[in-house]
Amino acid sequence: MVFTNNPFAAVTDFFSPLAMQIYIVLMVLAVVIGTLLDIYHKGSAIFFAQRKEKSRAAAQKQLSGTETFSLAVETIAEAAVSGEFCKWPRRLSHLLMMYGFFVYVITTVVMVFCYAGVARVPAILPGLWTLGASMILVGGLWFFFYLRVNVAFDGDSPFHLGRADLFVVSLIASVAFALLWDYAQTTYANPTATWTLFGLYMFFTTLLFGAVRWSKFAHMFFKPAVAFQRRVEEANGSSDLPRPSNENYIIRS
Amino acid sequence: MPTYTDMTRCDGCGECVDICPSDIMHIDPVYRRSYNIEPNFCWECYSCVKACPQNAIDVRGYADFAPLGHKVRVLREPEKGVISWKIRYRDGRLKEFAFPIRTTPWGSIKPPQDYEMPDLSAIGSQMLAHEPAALHIDALPTIDKIKA
Repeated sequence: MVFTNNPFAAVTDFFSPLAMQIYIVLMVLAVVIGTLLDIYHKGSAIFFAQRKEKSRAAAQKQLSGTETFSLAVETIAEAAVSGEFCKWPRRLSHLLMMYGFFVYVITTVVMVFCYAGVARVPAILPGLWTLGASMILVGGLWFFFYLRVNVAFDGDSPFHLGRADLFVVSLIASVAFALLWDYAQTTYANPTATWTLFGLYMFFTTLLFGAVRWSKFAHMFFKPAVAFQRRVEEANGSSDLPRPSNENYIIRS
Repeated sequence: MPTYTDMTRCDGCGECVDICPSDIMHIDPVYRRSYNIEPNFCWECYSCVKACPQNAIDVRGYADFAPLGHKVRVLREPEKGVISWKIRYRDGRLKEFAFPIRTTPWGSIKPPQDYEMPDLSAIGSQMLAHEPAALHIDALPTIDKIKA
């Protein structure tokens, strides 16, 4: 039955469970290698090292281990609610995509590694898998058509595609074809259509994880790193921003 | 001194693109962050600097006349009605200024279309539309003809 069976059970007719598990490991490696290549290409590691050095040299006070740990916790707390966004629609769409992605990936890994080839799995797993994919789809389509800044402010068509869209488009296409494939196989549709949808699902999933070097995938890792560094700079007094004003000039409503 | 965007601070909200009167703040097609496409067409109005909620826009002089190594950073605090500036000179000197920008809460000013349209007879009045209420006073001072 749709949304309650393990969607990956039928794949074992053509691919062994080991092949599926190897595919997932390869995708994890692709993300790691892609991120490292991205760091090398953009010189992010050198940039962060230099910024850290400058910050240390300009620091007005040395932070203790407890203070640094507390800043790390604050950064994680901010990232967990996408607190860096100043506008709620962008924050909400990012939260839908982020938590949807976590739920979708974790349930995929559990079903492929722990329930390989087993159709009947605890109903919560395929349920969460579907929920995660749907959250990505809702947040992703909302972002793609209405919230992309080049569409909302820069006059681009909602259908405009550029390199900055590689990540979001491959993510949306991957989960859209995953849901369609799940629906097609559980409603006993034409096998050709089912396997075509599976092929498209695999293509966009491979594109999503294989194109990290060129896409915005790695911003998930960079953004918290920058946010943490910024907090450290504000706390140790090396921030180049002016001090907050002590006076409030709002005197009338 | 034209503006440039610190991409590690920018979150791609588009406020600077929206406000730039010269239409030179655009979105980078690869990273989807803002950038100044034509610094020598910048009017240096600093609207984008003041509008940026992430304090991500910095200003810098042209390299041919401004010594490199200086920095001008802005902190916008609309909830306090102030914008603060921090100037770092090339020799390390620092100067900080705080400028009050308004005395009413951000977004509280009534746009003209929200006011009731004046009666046609008001055209004969010496007062401007919605005076004196719009000036937050009870009445404008008048000159007594006899005394004058």
